[in-house]
Amino acid sequence: MSIQNKLKRLKKHMANPVSAPPIQTKAQPDTQKNPKIDHAEYWEKFGASPYFFEDDYCIIRKVQYPIDQVWGRYQFSDVKNAVAQWQEVNAHHPLNAKGLDVSELLFFDTETTGLSGGAGNTIFMLGMSQIKEDHVLVHQFFLPGPGSEVALYHYFLNHVKELRNLVTYNGKSFDWPQVKTRHTLIRDYVPSLPEFGHFDLLHGARRLWKETLPAVKLSVVEKEILGVNRIHDTPGFLAPMLYFQYCNEGDPSLLEGVFRHNEWDVLSLITLFTHMSGVVTGNCFRTEKETYEAARWFESLNEIEWATALYNEVLQTGTSHPFQSKKSLAALYKKQNKIEISVRYWHELLRENEMDEEPAVELSKYYEHVQKDYVKALHFAVSAYNVWKGKKRLTKRKEDQEKRALAKRIERLEQRIIQYS
Amino acid sequence: MFRKKSIQQVMDVLREPEISKQIVHWKTIEPREAVSVPIPDSLHSNIQSALQKRGISSLYIHQLSAYEAALRKESFVAVTPTASGKTLCYNLPVLQEVANNPESRALYLFPTKALAQDQKSEINELIDEMGLNIKSYTYDGDTPANIRQVVRKAGNIVMTNPDMLHAAVLPHHTKWVSLFENLKYVVVDELHTYRGVFGSHVANVIRRLKRICKFYGSNPIFICTSATIANPKELAEQLTGNPMTLINNNGAPAGRKHFLFYNPPVVNKPLNVRRSATLEARNLAKLFLENHIQTIVFARSRVRVEILLTYLQELVKKEFGVKSIQGYRGGYLPKQRRAIEKGLRNGEVMGVVSTNALELGVDIGQLHACILTGYPGSIASAWQQAGRAGRRQDESVVIMVASSSPLDQYVIQNPDYFFERSPESARMNPDNLIILVDHLKCAAYELPFQENDTFGNQKVQDVLEFLVDEQVLHKRGKHFYWMNDSFPAHNISLRSASQENVVIIDQTNVADVKVIGEMDRFSSMTLLHEEAIYLHQGIQYQVEKLDYEEKKAFVREVDVDYFTDANLAVSLNVLEVDKETKNEQNAKAYGDVMVVAKATIFKKIKFETHDNIGSGPIHLPEEELHTSATWLTFQNEDLSEEKLEAGLLGIAHVLRHVAPLFVMCDANDLHVVPQVKAVHNQLPTIFIYDRYPGGIGLSEKVYGSWDTVLDQALTMIKRCPCENGCPSCTGTLEEGNNSKELAVKLISQIKGAAHHVDSK
Repeated sequence: MSIQNKLKRLKKHMANPVSAPPIQTKAQPDTQKNPKIDHAEYWEKFGASPYFFEDDYCIIRKVQYPIDQVWGRYQFSDVKNAVAQWQEVNAHHPLNAKGLDVSELLFFDTETTGLSGGAGNTIFMLGMSQIKEDHVLVHQFFLPGPGSEVALYHYFLNHVKELRNLVTYNGKSFDWPQVKTRHTLIRDYVPSLPEFGHFDLLHGARRLWKETLPAVKLSVVEKEILGVNRIHDTPGFLAPMLYFQYCNEGDPSLLEGVFRHNEWDVLSLITLFTHMSGVVTGNCFRTEKETYEAARWFESLNEIEWATALYNEVLQTGTSHPFQSKKSLAALYKKQNKIEISVRYWHELLRENEMDEEPAVELSKYYEHVQKDYVKALHFAVSAYNVWKGKKRLTKRKEDQEKRALAKRIERLEQRIIQYS
Repeated sequence: MFRKKSIQQVMDVLREPEISKQIVHWKTIEPREAVSVPIPDSLHSNIQSALQKRGISSLYIHQLSAYEAALRKESFVAVTPTASGKTLCYNLPVLQEVANNPESRALYLFPTKALAQDQKSEINELIDEMGLNIKSYTYDGDTPANIRQVVRKAGNIVMTNPDMLHAAVLPHHTKWVSLFENLKYVVVDELHTYRGVFGSHVANVIRRLKRICKFYGSNPIFICTSATIANPKELAEQLTGNPMTLINNNGAPAGRKHFLFYNPPVVNKPLNVRRSATLEARNLAKLFLENHIQTIVFARSRVRVEILLTYLQELVKKEFGVKSIQGYRGGYLPKQRRAIEKGLRNGEVMGVVSTNALELGVDIGQLHACILTGYPGSIASAWQQAGRAGRRQDESVVIMVASSSPLDQYVIQNPDYFFERSPESARMNPDNLIILVDHLKCAAYELPFQENDTFGNQKVQDVLEFLVDEQVLHKRGKHFYWMNDSFPAHNISLRSASQENVVIIDQTNVADVKVIGEMDRFSSMTLLHEEAIYLHQGIQYQVEKLDYEEKKAFVREVDVDYFTDANLAVSLNVLEVDKETKNEQNAKAYGDVMVVAKATIFKKIKFETHDNIGSGPIHLPEEELHTSATWLTFQNEDLSEEKLEAGLLGIAHVLRHVAPLFVMCDANDLHVVPQVKAVHNQLPTIFIYDRYPGGIGLSEKVYGSWDTVLDQALTMIKRCPCENGCPSCTGTLEEGNNSKELAVKLISQIKGAAHHVDSK
């Protein structure tokens, strides 16, 4: 069998293609059929229905998926476990969903007519997914033409009152400010924007996978991390062009791909939230690198207990980041006044890694300030200098700075020794 | 060591025969007393006490008029010379408003970032004395992101420039809701700079601003301040679209000023060539500098600035060090400019050589002497530059050194023209189609248009429909919506026709390659071509590579004794004739043309002697310009081609100077091109075209006054004392041709054309 054929056969094992058809939902057209709607038949067939407000309307589409549908590495229902796990976590963390019910999470994404953040950039589709009792509901709000925004946001804000638990990908700096901009323009005609809260998964994706992925775009994360493999997807960057073409030619079937793209985006956000929560709370398989990055994430949030636990995990199982983990641990123990453990780690590090002078510096500090043993302190200061000398450095300025700092330390210790002897 | 002379003693030196014989006119402008009035009672008590604390116990009469006009809710323009306390004209009404209503907002527009920075420190000092919580901020490219949010939400007074308003504020108006809802005043400082292309752009930016204000329910009062020009009220009304009250009862005092016209000696009698104005200016500047008198020297081009700078730094190197003489022009980086401004104020910098960049109100403190190298091209500009000397009621000297150009010679020999005539009008054309369409795009991006909407006073339905066809807008019902994924403001520069600048990269030190400046594309064709000598802060660089596509010029420091001067070849195609007057022998016409410019060769010119010591080709692509033009066509009867060319070149040389004088514009805004065989009719033709895509109405004006223009040209040629044409009239040519006689003959021939026919 040729490699190509082999690959073809194995393809479905490599990642899970998302071709499962959603459960068809019958659109419930408005009882009074309004003659003003363009393409009413098409929308009805597409499972979408109009929503009227004053003289205008927007298009609403609902799609259901079974709760046990597989989407990449997880079933949708797995997100319930993920949220359940967070209930046990007493740490501050941007993904922490403690106190929330899984049905309160709104996985949210928009399609816009451009990427610039100005007043001329229109959102033509708001999409979100939500976990219901026995299914996943995708809810899309579509702008049938510029100028119908009042109808769109009237429906959106009257039906989605609670926006405190949005889950987005880059929503913090893109989608949400854009919603605010659009709202400002029509604020006299629609309800005011509710308070909103946010899980922005882009931030976490950057923390966990920035170094392992070529880019942390959602499409890349999906493919490389979540095992979601889209077939016949309409790439997001085409969305504005297709919308313009739809506006000019009036053919709504042009947008089928955009609806589906948006639908898949908000579904993938469920899987991404599930997986990211698992990586952070330790309830799924995670690579050493991921564990290490999760530890660093906790460390940056000053959640010392969690950070310590995760670094220890890396140390126990690990082969790939032992030095950094040990160093971080030593620093964490020092912070917690368990300096004896730190000292042990520093000694180990000094033996194991000949290329890093920092443990020696730390030891020198320890003997100088804690033990007042200046001779030992000097010994470690000198060995720090020797290690440092053996290293190659890239920038001249930093080199001078480091050299001065080390020299100063040695000089001071020598004087201390003379002083006290 | 000789003893330092005072300014009076230096003036005595100027009166000595050796120099005074070149001074063709010495005008003393007597000091003027202040006209003061008491501070009005209606002024907020905190402002009154703040003024007292700053030692201001009365107002000049024009400041009171400004305050009263603002109270009557009138938009106004205040015409104020340098150092007449113009800032209070707008700061008083604005602070009064904010003191009474802390929610209110004001927007200040300054033509440059530097001016905004200056004014911020000034108003903040006053605000501090007032003891009220009034926030004023600058908002420009340098404002850090975290401060920006504060400015947007809480800045009572936001100081910015038109470019920033255009590209960063208006397109994001939804982030500025509190500003636009509460906008009470828009202040436009240095109104006179908003002319020509730049002014036409800014007038459209203000149309956009007013549209957005209307959307948010505000209707701000416009306050403009201007240097002396002929038409401040008209210009302000064009720029803002509001009716304006004119305030020109200047009550500020002024010190005695000596205005000297200096004509360099003739060195070549038959050709009537005078000594270089640059060299003479150098000698005069030296006289002041060696006596420790702070002096500003203006030069007309960037290259002149750098040449003069080299000379002067050489002169004072031993006494003060090179740093005490600085250059100042557009191509320098902002940080460098700030440092120079500071140095001037605190006296570390003794002299500065500048282009017209320092015409504006950047505060550089008190200078005693000002030297203009050549007539700056307009009366208004000359007074602005002269105002740099003696700002604070001191005796001061201004010397204008004439070059050999016809315009300079005309002005210097007719002092009445300069002293008696009112300064020029500033012109703009906000309805230039290209500029208008650009800003309509931005406006549509900001807020949708409705059928029958106007933009300023313009009906724009047709343009909107055009943009629909171009698939930029989408029409739905009665509305026009932006339907494009681009951000239109980013592609539109308010300052120049060519949108992208060439970055100048110094690679002298391979380990420390750095950007030292930038230049617009059109200028780069003649100033940054390969092998050009580029001067920056008096240091010579040779251009090693010009990457025209990537817009980068790579230069390396050199030390040579020449500078370079490039030729630009221009071809013209007539696209459409709009107006025409004809008789059997000649025709005058106005219409649309396509100009194709190409840099051809450059010459190397030796310092000091200005000899031509070599040349080389320039390999750069053509640049195209679609604009409006007027042209004169001659029927050639009996002249040989060679003679004809000589005559045309001679006329063009004169027109280049006369035409801008009579339509009152900068010489760079109009180009004159003679052609022995024009492409469109195969006849000898002289073209005058607007140096901006689409035209800004200048050549149309020339078309309307060809008779006057030709009369003046003829007088200027006839009056010139030379025999066969000289740089001061028809220019110098190869021997054998009397361009003067030929030019006179051709002009006489074309004058008195038949009746006017409008072909439309």
